Amino acid sequence: MIRVHHGRDGWVTRAGGWGCVAAMGVLVMGLALGGCSSKKPAGAGANGLNGNGMNENGMNGTNGSSLSGMQNGTLGQNQQGPLSDIHFGYNDSAIQAQDSEVLKANAAWLTNHPQSRVQIEGHCDDRGSEEYNIALGARRAQAAKDYLATLGIGADRMSTISYGKELPLCSDETDDCWAQNRRDHFAVSQ
Amino acid sequence: MGMMKRQVLALALTIAAIAIPAMARAQIRIDISKGATAQPIAVSGFKNLGGDDDHAISGAFDKILMRDLKLSSYFRIIAPKSYIENPDSSGYDIGQFNFADWSSLGADFLVKGAITRHGNAVTVEALLFDVAQQRRMMGKKFSGDPQDVGEMARRFADAILLAATGIRGPFDTKLAYVSTRGGRFKEIYTSWLDGGALFRVTDNPTINLFPSFDRNAQHLLYLSYKTYSPELYLVDLSQQVETRIPATLGQAVGGTLTPDGRIVAGFQRGGRTNLYLLDLSGNEIRALTDNGAINVSPSACGDGSSFTFTSDRGGTPQVYVGTLDGGDAHRVTFAGSYNTAPAFSPDCKKIAYESRQPGGFQIFVINADGSGARQLTQSGSNEAPTWSPDGRYIAYSSGRGARSRILLMRALDGYVIGPLTEGESNDTSPSWSGWLGD
Repeated sequence: MIRVHHGRDGWVTRAGGWGCVAAMGVLVMGLALGGCSSKKPAGAGANGLNGNGMNENGMNGTNGSSLSGMQNGTLGQNQQGPLSDIHFGYNDSAIQAQDSEVLKANAAWLTNHPQSRVQIEGHCDDRGSEEYNIALGARRAQAAKDYLATLGIGADRMSTISYGKELPLCSDETDDCWAQNRRDHFAVSQ
Repeated sequence: MGMMKRQVLALALTIAAIAIPAMARAQIRIDISKGATAQPIAVSGFKNLGGDDDHAISGAFDKILMRDLKLSSYFRIIAPKSYIENPDSSGYDIGQFNFADWSSLGADFLVKGAITRHGNAVTVEALLFDVAQQRRMMGKKFSGDPQDVGEMARRFADAILLAATGIRGPFDTKLAYVSTRGGRFKEIYTSWLDGGALFRVTDNPTINLFPSFDRNAQHLLYLSYKTYSPELYLVDLSQQVETRIPATLGQAVGGTLTPDGRIVAGFQRGGRTNLYLLDLSGNEIRALTDNGAINVSPSACGDGSSFTFTSDRGGTPQVYVGTLDGGDAHRVTFAGSYNTAPAFSPDCKKIAYESRQPGGFQIFVINADGSGARQLTQSGSNEAPTWSPDGRYIAYSSGRGARSRILLMRALDGYVIGPLTEGESNDTSPSWSGWLGD
């Protein structure tokens, strides 16, 4: 049995304030003695000590993002929301011809829902290094954002994020599964 | 123990070399230029000179020393149950024990020593012998706290490798990696290289990636989605203070610490990912790449002058080398269409990387000038190499999907020594620190 000592994100944070100074003394014992960062239920919008769960675009993890889906255990269970995913070729970020209709439909929905904002998530299949795939996913998200902009959607309503290969919809080592995972997902918030 | 306390204690640990008579030059030497066969070594129980009557100190020292000697791949431990002499009734230095008791077991090398404990003050005297020549090769005297015994053993293992191979061993070091062992989320962990003192750095149910140590494992950089946006965090492990690196250059993609304590990080803006040199507060020193491609996975070489990274500026992801003063980068890999995750060797002469091959990814090593590419792993899928500070070993993640382990291999010949992590979790993205002690 390996004893695990826990940092538990209980670091004093310079950028995010002084959240957890008091817990420092007990952290060394590796026990969950309450402290600042006690385990939160997955999917409850839980986040680390030094974040308030909101990114610069005001999107948090509870608004139908793939990350909240992963936390809830619902990722891959038809959580499409009002907008449809688009898909990419291997190591490619070009919008495919058959997806231009999907993007037009997504743009039409956004035009009809002017109060809604969208976070475009870029995803990759599980082949290749994690870091390169985060950059590749960013490029895929940007490709959809650029396309929607040409259809009249304001850039201020769109944000992008890449999850690289971290949030796959399926985990089989097959061409079909890899193709499903190479996607942009559109998470909508009001 | 918390990290801070441990490091304070580590400072209290003192080491003295035990003088070796000039005539007693080592005659036995392990040639590491070839794939060496493991040499038989006996690790005798240490003589109790007072205070270690239950052999708790001796047992803890021996356990870690033997684990490290096995991980070195240069030694085969002769089973202690076959040992003839009783360490507490015999002596531990030249003239006080019988070499025949050890040569008859087939031992080429012998470790003996003695332990004294007074309350919380422990002294360990450890000696390495050349059995055939009946000579003392090396000796160390460690003084410290009972909790320092593991570190004493790691430093002695490093000294044994120096005496037997001419190069200091890599065991007084830490490993950081990503693991799902705490549940289904990827969290950052650190431990000694041999697995001791497993420490969980993050606990947020999101995604935590790419831990990177600086040279003496004082700082750890990592990427986390804990604010629902990817950002870089720098932990000062001795002060237990974490700094969030400001995202002024774009959305963080990943980063690394240079050996001299700066940050090289990738930020994406508009689908372009470029690399920047930052200070430890996250202030930009200069841009290292400036183009419309993907530039990621930086790894600085030991002298802090140059770095290697992945770029697809030529159409496919390939390995490049650039300088930290901002000079132009040159391409290193040309074979294959997908070469990523490069890691510079500490001497700046070689680069390990992963290359897409039929059936999976494999670890390669290439000279920094682009010559001499060699495939080190042959089967399965093997990714994310990191070098030992002595440049002899590479740790990497092996496996696919939800089950991956950190494995250790020799850089010279790709000989797989064994796993550095245990259990059924998904362990990836290893980062090997430099030596913690002097």
